[in-house]
Amino acid sequence: MGNVFVLAEHRQGALRDITLEMLALAPGLAKDFGGEVEVLLLGSGVDALAEKLSGYGVKVLVVDDPLLADYNSDKYQKVLSALIDQRKPSLVMVGHTAQGVDMAPALAVEKDLPFVADVIDLKLEEGVLKATRQLYSGKVNATIAFKPADTYLVTVREAAFEAPDPSAAGSIEKIDSPLKEDLDYRKFVEYIEAEVGDVDITQSEVLVAIGRGLREDKNLPIIEELANTIKADLCGSRAAVDAGWLPHDRQVGTSGKSVKPKLYIALGISGAFQHVAGIKGAKTVVAVNKDPEAPIFAHADYAIVDDLLKIVPKLTEKLKELKG
Amino acid sequence: MKTFVCIKYVPDTSEAEVKVNPDGTSVDSSRFSFDINDADNYAVEESVLIKEAHGGSVTIVSIGPKESEVMIRMALAKGADNAVRVEDSRIAAYDPLMVARTLAGVIKGQEFDLVLTGCMASDDGQMATGVALAELLGVSHAAMVKKLEILDGKVKAHRELEGGLMEVVELSLPAVITIQTGINEPRYAPIRGIREAQKKELKVVNLDDLGIAADQVDVSASKIVLEKLYIPEVVSKAEIIEGEPDEKAEKLASILVKGGLV
Amino acid sequence: MWGMMMSTENQTFAEKLDLFGCIQCGRCTGGCPVTVRTNLNVRRFVYDAKNEEMLEELSKLAEIWDCTACHTCAVRCPKGLKPLEVLFGLRTLVVESGKTQPTVRDALESVFREGNPWEKPRATRYDWMEGLEVKIADPEQPVENLFFVCCTIAYDPRVQIVAKNLVKILNQAGVDYGFIGENESCCGSEVFALGEEGLFEMTVEDNTEFLNEFQARQLVTLSPHCFTTFRTRYPDLNKPVLHYTQLLDQLLQEGKISWNQDLPKKIVFHDPCYLGKQSLVFDEPRRLLKSIQGVELLEFDRSRERSLCCEGGGGKMWVESESKAQRLAETRIKDAKEMGAEIVAVACPFCVLTLEDAMKALGYEEEMRVAEITELLGELLA
Repeated sequence: MGNVFVLAEHRQGALRDITLEMLALAPGLAKDFGGEVEVLLLGSGVDALAEKLSGYGVKVLVVDDPLLADYNSDKYQKVLSALIDQRKPSLVMVGHTAQGVDMAPALAVEKDLPFVADVIDLKLEEGVLKATRQLYSGKVNATIAFKPADTYLVTVREAAFEAPDPSAAGSIEKIDSPLKEDLDYRKFVEYIEAEVGDVDITQSEVLVAIGRGLREDKNLPIIEELANTIKADLCGSRAAVDAGWLPHDRQVGTSGKSVKPKLYIALGISGAFQHVAGIKGAKTVVAVNKDPEAPIFAHADYAIVDDLLKIVPKLTEKLKELKG
Repeated sequence: MKTFVCIKYVPDTSEAEVKVNPDGTSVDSSRFSFDINDADNYAVEESVLIKEAHGGSVTIVSIGPKESEVMIRMALAKGADNAVRVEDSRIAAYDPLMVARTLAGVIKGQEFDLVLTGCMASDDGQMATGVALAELLGVSHAAMVKKLEILDGKVKAHRELEGGLMEVVELSLPAVITIQTGINEPRYAPIRGIREAQKKELKVVNLDDLGIAADQVDVSASKIVLEKLYIPEVVSKAEIIEGEPDEKAEKLASILVKGGLV
Repeated sequence: MWGMMMSTENQTFAEKLDLFGCIQCGRCTGGCPVTVRTNLNVRRFVYDAKNEEMLEELSKLAEIWDCTACHTCAVRCPKGLKPLEVLFGLRTLVVESGKTQPTVRDALESVFREGNPWEKPRATRYDWMEGLEVKIADPEQPVENLFFVCCTIAYDPRVQIVAKNLVKILNQAGVDYGFIGENESCCGSEVFALGEEGLFEMTVEDNTEFLNEFQARQLVTLSPHCFTTFRTRYPDLNKPVLHYTQLLDQLLQEGKISWNQDLPKKIVFHDPCYLGKQSLVFDEPRRLLKSIQGVELLEFDRSRERSLCCEGGGGKMWVESESKAQRLAETRIKDAKEMGAEIVAVACPFCVLTLEDAMKALGYEEEMRVAEITELLGELLA
């Protein structure tokens, strides 16, 4: 009792950021619950990852089992279910990721746990666990209180917390796998890497968008370099497509495509109603335009009033530097 | 293939100002437009594509108000066969597990091969209902599916992971699949089709009709309490980055990197 | 499936559109403005569409979406046919199969659910009125002029000025008027052009019933698209329909409005297709412009019935041509610049958007402007 489980997420041999981000939150909560942080590492041949995790001053519980060689939500659920029974943690933290959302709600149902998804904050207030999560694409926050229970379950939003630096050496404990046999109802087949080449901008996570402000196609290389630096796909306004700078399938707006990237960098786009209708789903919008009255600024989170040709080269240079 | 598709009627708040009602736990939706949840629209299309390719039937299930029948009729016009709309104010709609329990109550006891839902609702964004529903129905599942292949007695589901990587899994049927947007291109439901679909069955039920005890899905059954909703403080909408061109570029670069945006 | 509705009742596609009346003279294609940009050959479609078996194949051709609904072909047809409606009929086959472009799908669904093609909530339709003193019509009370604001003017911040300035002019002139309010719904002009016949029929029925309830002497529209649609496709509407330029012209003749300031500019008026060719309103907007002190009114070579289409109609706001050739709007703006025009005046929201876009694309922002007539008049009221 009192311990906080953090489910380590890893894929293709590497830890995913969310694991460490949860370690920013877990120690404080463990202290409040009167226990310690236990990181659950499930996999096969994961000693190196266990080693790395233990460097964050936590206890790492390793379930090393050939049956866990590939991620499988149902197997994870079975292991977690058994460990919850055995060790009775107060809180189980799982990443709100493609892995986490495929497993946690089923675990909540199976173990009848109070569950809140996609939390951006979690606190124990006078014995009551309270979560903060967002609704309506972040326009509204909700405070949700958990009814008293022995074990609570949350999924934690990615990038909501900053990963701590490695600290003291922790410990590693190997535990027997509760899995007895392979599952017949869900089998991992393979990973397929995203195809490069044919880009579907409606699925892009980061988009660099150009408009008339680019002026001429000889300026395209500086935009492409920026896009390459931040692994963004290129798209643009009708004007940019008309000018032949981009193919038609890269057009954003009412007569083009609706996009929903995490980041949309609008360069030299004035922001006509017909264009901004296509970026409603963008989470963060950066706008660079030399016209301070450009309507795009009403839709931006970050704004630079200037000529994009003066901004972009330096921006790329600095981004390269910061990203090492 | 006998398929159930669970869909939700949601407000479009992408451009609207959202205000919390005086009760502190609901929002003023009088100025919103409502429509089928985006991912659910893809789920409807996928179910119709499966029916067109493999035969069978499609049943739409939705918990929502009378106004949501427009959305249901559109799904029927696209090719679904019948629909069940649950309307009951006792359901603790803020808790996806209570919603899943209600949906399970509609589906349980009937034969099915597939249950499709959208992978996320655009209003509360929990991404939980479908996977919880699978557990309640005792069947296999896969979430965030971007490609679905129907095989003999099983399906191959391509789950979209971060960065566009696909995890391909094979599931035995029956199964619950939560559908990611972009899996297909939802068709248009022409008005003549919607009129035609008026003939299809749309059953309206409440918890009593479903034989679900209210205390299994209401706020007393929920293990969480929605305490309050509030508008997070935003430091003016756009942050204007000032300075000489080079300074501005440098400031922006560090905002993007520090904010984890790139 | 409801899909292949080739004919209505007992009429075939060709009978319904009177295609057998075609003498293949070619005047339609000869005058079609988009032929310089695309493969569209409307005469060919009129010919091929007589063969019922070819309809499905024809409906798959991309160029059926290139028509801007300017009506030049209909104006030129010596047999009084409407060749463009063959293209709309083919669009109907696509739309009713459900397999339409996502942009078209979203616009049509938006009209169905929210009464506008811009995917905006019905409840915000009259947000443009904020801060203005606007009279709202009461269906129970008689009113002289009932105003119908088009969806684009109501929602697009660039052209909301048309409605705002008109309110100012009406208030100043002491005109008896009323706006409809948030229950106003799309007239269906673009729905018709996009081939969604079922939705258009429903729109006409609902709007006719709704508008007929108002005890107004006349219905005044802000957009030529609504104007022509109400005039020509609403057989049961119980009141005459005017474009606002006609009303303002009348007020001007009666001495009820006048301008306080001069505008010493060279202005060329671009005839919107839906106002000119389709509704034969040519002189009223010109008289309004000439009534401004200092204005030197120029004329395009292609003006009045021969006006060059801006490509804003025919549902083209939601369907982009693949063509890389110069947009007609750019041709138009270049012509205006060549003749020394400082202002291209228009009386249509779509023309404002397409021509202004073209002007910016050509980099002429510094030396000329595109303005809706109400924009100019509003500035002169002061």
